[in-house]
Amino acid sequence: MDGVHDMGGMHGFGAVVVEGGDEVFHEAWEPRVFALSHLSNVCGLLGGPGGRVVGESMDAAHYLEASYYERWLWTAERQLEAKATIAPGEVEAMMARLAVNEAPPRAADPELAAEAVAQLREGSPAMGIAASSRFAPGDRVRVRRMHPDRHTRCPRYVRGAVGVVERVQGADRLPDRAEYGLPTEPEPVYAVAFASQDLWGESDEPPWTVLLDLFDTYLEPA
Amino acid sequence: MSDVHDNDGGHHHGRPASQIELRARALEALLVEKGLVSTDAIDAVIELYENDVGPQNGAKVVARAWVDPAYRERLLADGAAAIAELGFGGAEGNTMVVVPNGPGVHNAVVCTLCSCYPWPVLGLPPSWYKSAPYRARMVSEPHAVLREFGLELPAKTTIRVWDSTAEVRYLVLPERPSETEGWDEEALAAIVTRDAMIGVAVPVAEQTPA
Repeated sequence: MDGVHDMGGMHGFGAVVVEGGDEVFHEAWEPRVFALSHLSNVCGLLGGPGGRVVGESMDAAHYLEASYYERWLWTAERQLEAKATIAPGEVEAMMARLAVNEAPPRAADPELAAEAVAQLREGSPAMGIAASSRFAPGDRVRVRRMHPDRHTRCPRYVRGAVGVVERVQGADRLPDRAEYGLPTEPEPVYAVAFASQDLWGESDEPPWTVLLDLFDTYLEPA
Repeated sequence: MSDVHDNDGGHHHGRPASQIELRARALEALLVEKGLVSTDAIDAVIELYENDVGPQNGAKVVARAWVDPAYRERLLADGAAAIAELGFGGAEGNTMVVVPNGPGVHNAVVCTLCSCYPWPVLGLPPSWYKSAPYRARMVSEPHAVLREFGLELPAKTTIRVWDSTAEVRYLVLPERPSETEGWDEEALAAIVTRDAMIGVAVPVAEQTPA
């Protein structure tokens, strides 16, 4: 999806180093949203496509205006609705109750707490090894031109550019399909190196290199 | 109730300071009330990243690589396996590539599409890493971004910016400052900052260890 989340190279966002920028969380609710999202996944409460897909489907102005964990919250709500774990209006109804100082319910479940932590310590399986690959390190590749209206992990700023395969990272399922639960076999993922001039034109700064992990589907020989 | 504002002004008086905070509390309350999640499980997840998982882990990995050439080789060959030797791994860190800085080469990591980050070794990302300006500018003007962080590299140094667009997570292995000759691993780990392992800073040996 060619949305505002695909930010590489955009102008107009201002400085990186700003007051408060060093903090992981700004407010106490933010880590709770992080944890709640994880728990909802652990407990099988989420439906629909993956979280990245949902987050990218936010209205563009809303995406830019929302804080990072506000986006997580919005995404979690959509995924919870997609599985009918919650119904539209239920969050608002609870907000009204809390706003008149009703005490929020609390619950203890030590087994769930242990499982939630265990799954984070475990993580997802590592990317598989590519049994074979169309390209090898040193090969020149061009990123295909595309304009997908669905999820992709191929940023706009490399499309059409020529780079050099630096290494074969492994094999993984194409997120453009896998994130929707569509069947897809693992395909090679390559670290591809691009010269700064080939992405951004001439610069007053010394040349630099930008490397991206790109799926085989995104590439053609150059 | 009168403290509910329609903007996120960051004011806290023990009552909801914003609609979004109230909304977050409501979603948690709703799932707890439905019996689907528990308060202690939420607390446990938060505590994991507050206490156990953070840049102190990555710093130990870097310090080990600085003192043990064989470990460094294993780390560069298979990041996740070598990191697991020190007991670290898990979500957002089971496929790891460690990129070494060296003479004339400086690596830095970004995720332009979201905010991918190697949690087991660095914890959860700081706000600036997730911000629009970093995601936008690190690939298109890395020198200017590094200058904002106070890092001016020699003109002959090539910056290599890794955009984490798939499931590989990156850790920068900084160069060991020459002033640290003879330091032990613990002292070395103490100078390895989160920012140095993202690649927007370099370790500085400010004081000699006792």
